[in-house]
Amino acid sequence: MTALRRNPSLAAGGVIVLALVAAALFGPSVAHNNPLAIDLTRALAGPSRAHPFGCDALGRDVFARVMWGARLSLGISVSVVVLSLAAGGLIGGCAALAGGRIDNLVMRVVDIVLAFPGILLAIALAAILGPGLVDLAIALTAMGWTGYARLVRGEVLSLREREYVHAAAALGARPRRLLFRHLLPAVAGPVAVQATFGIGGIIGAEAALSFLGLGAMPPTPSWGNMLDAGREFLLVAPHLTTAPGIAIGLAILGFNLLGDGLAALAGRR
Amino acid sequence: MAMISKPAVARMLALALCGSVALGCNRPKIGHPAGEIQVDIESSPTSTDPRFATDAISSRINELVFESLVKIGPDGQFVNDLAQSYERPDPKTLIFHLRHGVRFSDGRKLTARDIKFTYDSILDPDSMSPKRAGMKELASISAPDDYTIVMTTRHPYAPALEMAMQGIVPAGAPLPAAAMSAGPVGSGPFRMLSYKRDESVELARNPFHPAPPEAPGAILFKVVPDPTVRALELAEGQCDLSENNIEASVLPWLADHPELRVSNTPGTTYKYLMFNFRDPSLRDLRVRRAIAYAIDRQAIVTSVLHGTARVATGMLSPENWAYYGEVTDYGYDPAAACRLLDQAGYPARHDGMRNLRFEYKTTPEGARLAEVLQAMLKRVGITLNVRILEWATFYGDIQRGSFQLASLQWVGIDDPNFYYMTFDSSMTPPGMNRGYYSNPKMDALVRTGERTLDLAARRQIYQQVQMLAASDLPYVSLWWVDTVAVMNRSLSGFAPYPNGSLRSLADLTIARPGAIEEAARR
Amino acid sequence: MIWYVLRRLATLVPVALGVVTLTFALIHLVPGDPVVAMLGDTASPADIAGMRHRLGLDRPILVQYVDFLGGLAHGDLGESISYHQPVSRLIAERFPATLELAGAGLLVAMVIAFPLGFIAGAKPGSAGDVGSMGFAIVGISIPHIYLGPLLMIWFSLDLGLLPLTGRGGIPHLVLPAVTLGTALAAVLARMLRQSIIQVRDSDYMRTAVSKGLSPTLALFRHGLRNALTPVVTLLGLELGGLLTGALITEIIFSWPGLGRMLISAISARDYPLVEGAVLTFALTYVFVNMATDVVYALVDPRVSLR
Repeated sequence: MTALRRNPSLAAGGVIVLALVAAALFGPSVAHNNPLAIDLTRALAGPSRAHPFGCDALGRDVFARVMWGARLSLGISVSVVVLSLAAGGLIGGCAALAGGRIDNLVMRVVDIVLAFPGILLAIALAAILGPGLVDLAIALTAMGWTGYARLVRGEVLSLREREYVHAAAALGARPRRLLFRHLLPAVAGPVAVQATFGIGGIIGAEAALSFLGLGAMPPTPSWGNMLDAGREFLLVAPHLTTAPGIAIGLAILGFNLLGDGLAALAGRR
Repeated sequence: MAMISKPAVARMLALALCGSVALGCNRPKIGHPAGEIQVDIESSPTSTDPRFATDAISSRINELVFESLVKIGPDGQFVNDLAQSYERPDPKTLIFHLRHGVRFSDGRKLTARDIKFTYDSILDPDSMSPKRAGMKELASISAPDDYTIVMTTRHPYAPALEMAMQGIVPAGAPLPAAAMSAGPVGSGPFRMLSYKRDESVELARNPFHPAPPEAPGAILFKVVPDPTVRALELAEGQCDLSENNIEASVLPWLADHPELRVSNTPGTTYKYLMFNFRDPSLRDLRVRRAIAYAIDRQAIVTSVLHGTARVATGMLSPENWAYYGEVTDYGYDPAAACRLLDQAGYPARHDGMRNLRFEYKTTPEGARLAEVLQAMLKRVGITLNVRILEWATFYGDIQRGSFQLASLQWVGIDDPNFYYMTFDSSMTPPGMNRGYYSNPKMDALVRTGERTLDLAARRQIYQQVQMLAASDLPYVSLWWVDTVAVMNRSLSGFAPYPNGSLRSLADLTIARPGAIEEAARR
Repeated sequence: MIWYVLRRLATLVPVALGVVTLTFALIHLVPGDPVVAMLGDTASPADIAGMRHRLGLDRPILVQYVDFLGGLAHGDLGESISYHQPVSRLIAERFPATLELAGAGLLVAMVIAFPLGFIAGAKPGSAGDVGSMGFAIVGISIPHIYLGPLLMIWFSLDLGLLPLTGRGGIPHLVLPAVTLGTALAAVLARMLRQSIIQVRDSDYMRTAVSKGLSPTLALFRHGLRNALTPVVTLLGLELGGLLTGALITEIIFSWPGLGRMLISAISARDYPLVEGAVLTFALTYVFVNMATDVVYALVDPRVSLR
């Protein structure tokens, strides 16, 4: 408890993230309105008791859609971060351990991906695979793994030089054991911090890709496609963008605070 | 100054910062030179050469710069343009007599030689002009003297006059691949001053074309892709006129601005839902009819389109001379839809859904309609999987006939021969019969229609075509889109065309600047 | 130093080659056809085949690839299919607008971030810190597609202070630049704060303060350079995000930049133009990062240029 008081970022971020996760898990059952049911007579209706966040252009309940959207937006960002982390961590870690030419080659590939405009990758993948959630996850992962690869490689390279690793190797520990027992746990801290920031970033990226017509397919609500669909009505029905806009902001805020908190926690150790 | 509307609550911050809002801030007027008006367009024209431009925006701008032998008037009828008169001495020949004294904007005289050159350069296989395909029926074109053009067609060809709507460029004008600058000159009311891709197109008066004294001296077409921003530019008075590119629900907000006027004219743009007949279940007429009954077109027109469209009976709108409206009508009737689907052998399961799943392809702009159709078809137990594709992919799939259901629109249907191009069984992809519709009765009718020159006889034929199309349902007719223009009140005399043409920009009257301020202050 | 720069320049070649290859593969894998997109509805199969032949699209893909690389080696990016003009000329026409926007966005980001970062870093836990970081976190949280239209409504429609769209003088640049720069400002400010706190706690700063300098003065006199180094690196890495953001900002503000041209080129399957535009973006990214590394070395003498 005192730890939390000394680390307000962690506390605030934790609370926001927990609230969002709760919304994603239980929200759909709280919002009794069907997020997909259209009722054209209520198109663009403002907030009311029956529809606390109002209705969208097709008369669907915005509150219900935001709640269901939480599931999709959080789900997709967590899975993208996990995928990126797995791919990037593996590649970066192996490159660092292998060293030499392989390391060099991997880092050139990382340079190429970093320099490549991610938008083109997303559009191309959407055109090849057909747009949808899988495409979105692959595109975001294809862009996102490099950060983790760099981080893990750097951490492993610096750890390799530490005494206890040397000692373990001198005692005859096998490379695999070295990796799992000694290196991975030490890398986990900084990686967790970056991953937390990463989730916030992916939520923002989903909104940007929705703007370009990629991402979740209708009628599935995601915060990004709700925000994009509402933009046309900004002048006459701002409530369509306010709700998903705040949700996206809150999520990015929460994960960033949590990341700050984790960083502070890791730093103190 | 506009009263602050309800959504302004969302802009409390701004109100707090600026007490002068209600009094009307001194906007930084991005001064247009006197007599210049700004028209916002949603995307950049692809070509400034009328021999190549096929997209709607290029055509609209080119119509102001180039003249053609004949053109379509506001009532949808052909009127003379460069031609003073024309005659049809036999079913395969058209003779045009030209107006005298026409000059290109660089002062050169326009003669029959220029017209022949324009057509020849399109017909040259090396030109690679997309317009070449539309002139398949043109057998020859000749210029016996400076003021006569003779066109012959391969067969008696009823819609031959459509081929006479080609914008004319001066003889010797290079093809765009070789041209470096703003494109060829024309003889229309305006000449092109500048063409900045994705930014703007600027037109100024053609000094050799007569103009009313108060008409705009210049037009700036500005490319503004974002719909909200186009509305904002109108509201701020920076844009003077915008046609068919404002979201319908924003129109009342714009109409609340005292300096703006919203005009709504019945249009001819035809929106339809297309079936692919290679799909076995869609080949069943009962399924197609059930889908037609399941779509509440009136509700969509009222609530989603805010009344800016008319529920359609067929491809031809009531403005067309060949229109016939006494055809099978499909009002919203989900019970009838369910009955038809039961009969067709697709019973509803306990959850109300049937064993009917279709893939519906669309573009990001069509997403909202897709969601409405999806929800409406779900009510009768049909599952629609919506796939939103990036435009080029979508268009490629449609052209190849690779889809089950899709909705599209036809812009600028003039001659009913369009039925031949879209419904004849010989016109399957790469032709425009993309749904592979085939009915010998329809083939016989549209083929006769193409070769029949007598207007009364043609009208008779297309009456039957329209009845057959409505009962056979290769398309579900959705609606005809209105021509909606939002313009500054300082402009008067703008006559919207049902097909969305902007020709009447040439005949506008602009009120004196003082008068505009006066009107705005009131 | 010279050697270092030359060596870095040498690594450009494989990266450029990789980017070009990846782009080529992706754009040719994508379904759709530039000829169909160009000739439209009514073109006959013969016309389509003729055009494909003319553009060389009927050759085996590997031949097209080698041909493209050959042109590239001579600095020839080919001719745009949809604009009938050399790709290099189109890029030269449009890229300055994108650079102008990105530069202005960067400037806005720095103008906002530096004071906030210093205020926050100088006294962690103070009201200034909480306020600055509060702004930063809100700044990160607003997507461009939302911020852009909101700024337009506030500053142009309601306040009437700034023009909406288009490229012109400074006033035209303000709203797009703020839209683009806000998120970066937030990231920068946080980074700066972090790095100032670190420098403040370092031994040499403690020494300086113990000698009687005020902490703020000590920071400015001795710590500034060290505090700035990680920020410079971050700026380089964030450039990719800045260019992507610029693309969205260009669409919203009708800004005639290369990003919008890239999007329409993808849509028209204008292969040479897509390749040229992507290469331009990628090389910009690599160059700027190289430059930041060099600057890094100049700012921080401890970094050796191997």
